[in-house]
Amino acid sequence: MSHGPSAPAHAHGHGGEAAPYVPVFTEGSARRRELDDLISRYPSRRAALLPALWMVQQDRGWISEDAMREVGEQLDCTAAYVKGVVTFYTMYHQHPVGRHFIQVCTTSPCLCAGADDVVKAFLEHTGCKELGLTSPDGKYTVIEVECLGACGFATPVQINEDYVECVTPEKVPGLLAALGD
Amino acid sequence: MSATKMVSLTIEGRAVSVPEGTTILEAAKAAGVLVPHYCYHPGLPVAGVCRMCLVEVEKFPKLAPSCATAVGEGQVVHVYSEKALEARKGVLELLLINHPLDCPICDQAGECELQDYTFQEGRADSRYREPKRFNPVEDFGGDVLYVTNRCILCTRCVRFMDDVHEAPVLCVSERGDRAVISKAADADLTQPWAANVIDLCPVGALVSKDFLNKARAWELDRTASVCPGCSQGCNTVLETRDNVVMRMKPRPNDAVNQFYLCDVGRLDYHWMNRADRLESPKIRLADVLSPVDWEIALGQAAEALRGRRAYVVASPQLSNEALFLLKRLIGATGGEGAFRCATGPEAPLPGVDDLALRADRAPNVRGAELLGFTRRDGDLLAGLKSGDVLVVAGDALDGVDLRRAVDAATVIVVGTVLPVGLPTPVAVLPIANVAEEEGTFTNLRGRVQRFLQAKAAPGLARPSWYALADLATAAGAPSDDCALPSRAFAALAAAEPAFSGMSYDALGLRGAVVAGAEVAR
Repeated sequence: MSHGPSAPAHAHGHGGEAAPYVPVFTEGSARRRELDDLISRYPSRRAALLPALWMVQQDRGWISEDAMREVGEQLDCTAAYVKGVVTFYTMYHQHPVGRHFIQVCTTSPCLCAGADDVVKAFLEHTGCKELGLTSPDGKYTVIEVECLGACGFATPVQINEDYVECVTPEKVPGLLAALGD
Repeated sequence: MSATKMVSLTIEGRAVSVPEGTTILEAAKAAGVLVPHYCYHPGLPVAGVCRMCLVEVEKFPKLAPSCATAVGEGQVVHVYSEKALEARKGVLELLLINHPLDCPICDQAGECELQDYTFQEGRADSRYREPKRFNPVEDFGGDVLYVTNRCILCTRCVRFMDDVHEAPVLCVSERGDRAVISKAADADLTQPWAANVIDLCPVGALVSKDFLNKARAWELDRTASVCPGCSQGCNTVLETRDNVVMRMKPRPNDAVNQFYLCDVGRLDYHWMNRADRLESPKIRLADVLSPVDWEIALGQAAEALRGRRAYVVASPQLSNEALFLLKRLIGATGGEGAFRCATGPEAPLPGVDDLALRADRAPNVRGAELLGFTRRDGDLLAGLKSGDVLVVAGDALDGVDLRRAVDAATVIVVGTVLPVGLPTPVAVLPIANVAEEEGTFTNLRGRVQRFLQAKAAPGLARPSWYALADLATAAGAPSDDCALPSRAFAALAAAEPAFSGMSYDALGLRGAVVAGAEVAR
């Protein structure tokens, strides 16, 4: 089950594809050992829900309804309960996203520093039609986020796990080129 | 276990004493004070999410949610103080921010707690000037439609499905102003008791597809009744408009169905309105049925019964009173009585003791047994002897092979519709159905429960106890002690040891258990 973090965007197209769901936490897998280890630290299995969902998202890029069911089965809670949690937190993706998930800070200080133009530049150069939509090549998804906590370095942008500070519209094409595929 | 400790407190100036651990809201109810609330429901676990039940408690630093605060000795509670009213006014204003205020087209209007409390203590207008959030209506499956925009997220439906139905398919999805009630993937509300979420919903968010746009709540006349769908005998309210039953809702009774009614029972009322009914007594003239007066039809029936044995097939849909009068008829003619009952799979409601949609799909199986009718699910006509008069009472022949009925020289029908495939009866006596008359049923635990008349019977149809008292009299079993349903029941109670001491007054609308019945099996 070695899905790299960059694999899922193609594998899961929008709208219920027929391919059967492949579980993340299969018996004997590294992920399963990791999860079991986590569970052993908590008084109840469901306490490990948030990290379990992170594992799914790291492996698959997003959390499908099948994945919610699998996590529910692993942690003795219902698919409905897992859905409530997944949808509560905005950082869990309920749809496939691009391989490079670009979050532009648009809270007040960054807006003053021209974050709006940074957003426009990203949308233009990635080919994403709208905030939240993935580019046709599956490479990029751009969204706005609330404060990334780097107001001194406006405008900060988070791409997957990495921060890029002091981004201006002019820097965007170079940034994207450096991301590679 | 030690005796429960009692706690005394004052609510709105009324002294009240309740067991330790009672919540302020429940204590107020005991004192006769209604604390406005949405998420609290006596049948569900406490959630404390709606903030509508905030009350002022003296010496508390801030207002307390009364549904989740236990009483304390000597507490002084103010439900309608300025501070409490101000807080609840704020709660209501927030609840209404995204509410569409579409009361004119909402089925809940008139029985909506959001409407009631806003009228009672909310603001007359809103200060909110932004566009309202919009979400589309969602079909939740079964009988349930979710009108997202009206939802106040009290989570009663989620808790009912989780804790009472034990089929946890609902959740609160998203958060903040985007939050909505949502179903798990591939799940829907087709579980046998799921439609109770419609009754539990305090606003118009969960509405019945069956009742959708059918009637306004304030146009409906409400009548206490008992669900005729199975032998559980859930207490119900029949809601009628212009002599038509528009819907059937559960009526709380802790001893039988708590607050609930299964979907099968709830939706099985349309037959009460069927239009192809027997409306006039009829007799056979030259092998054709002709409408006649009651007296002539009764005379014809008595003539047919003279010197013959009556083989009575009775419907377990008939009341105890009707079955008792049939028993008199059987006694007078030396005959016998039988019944059959349709069956289906049993469907319990897991969170409530001894509550299920029962396998026996008729309300008075126990009553028929207690009154000496033999259950013959296989061949209902097995006891029919040559020369017998076959008396078909109630609509007892649904699903019965009628070829043997030809053996009976004469047939008398006492029913709401004419059975198909039967030899032409000598006399037909039209009777009222369960919605059109008064009577009692005995449920499977032996609880005798009254149902009242919700609508008028068609044409010349008479209540079953009325028609059968006349028939018994005509057949030589004088029944003029049965001139009212209450008197028919009194005669039954006097004659049958199991019903000894019972009367309509004593039964009330909660019922009582027959002598010798085990309370729970």
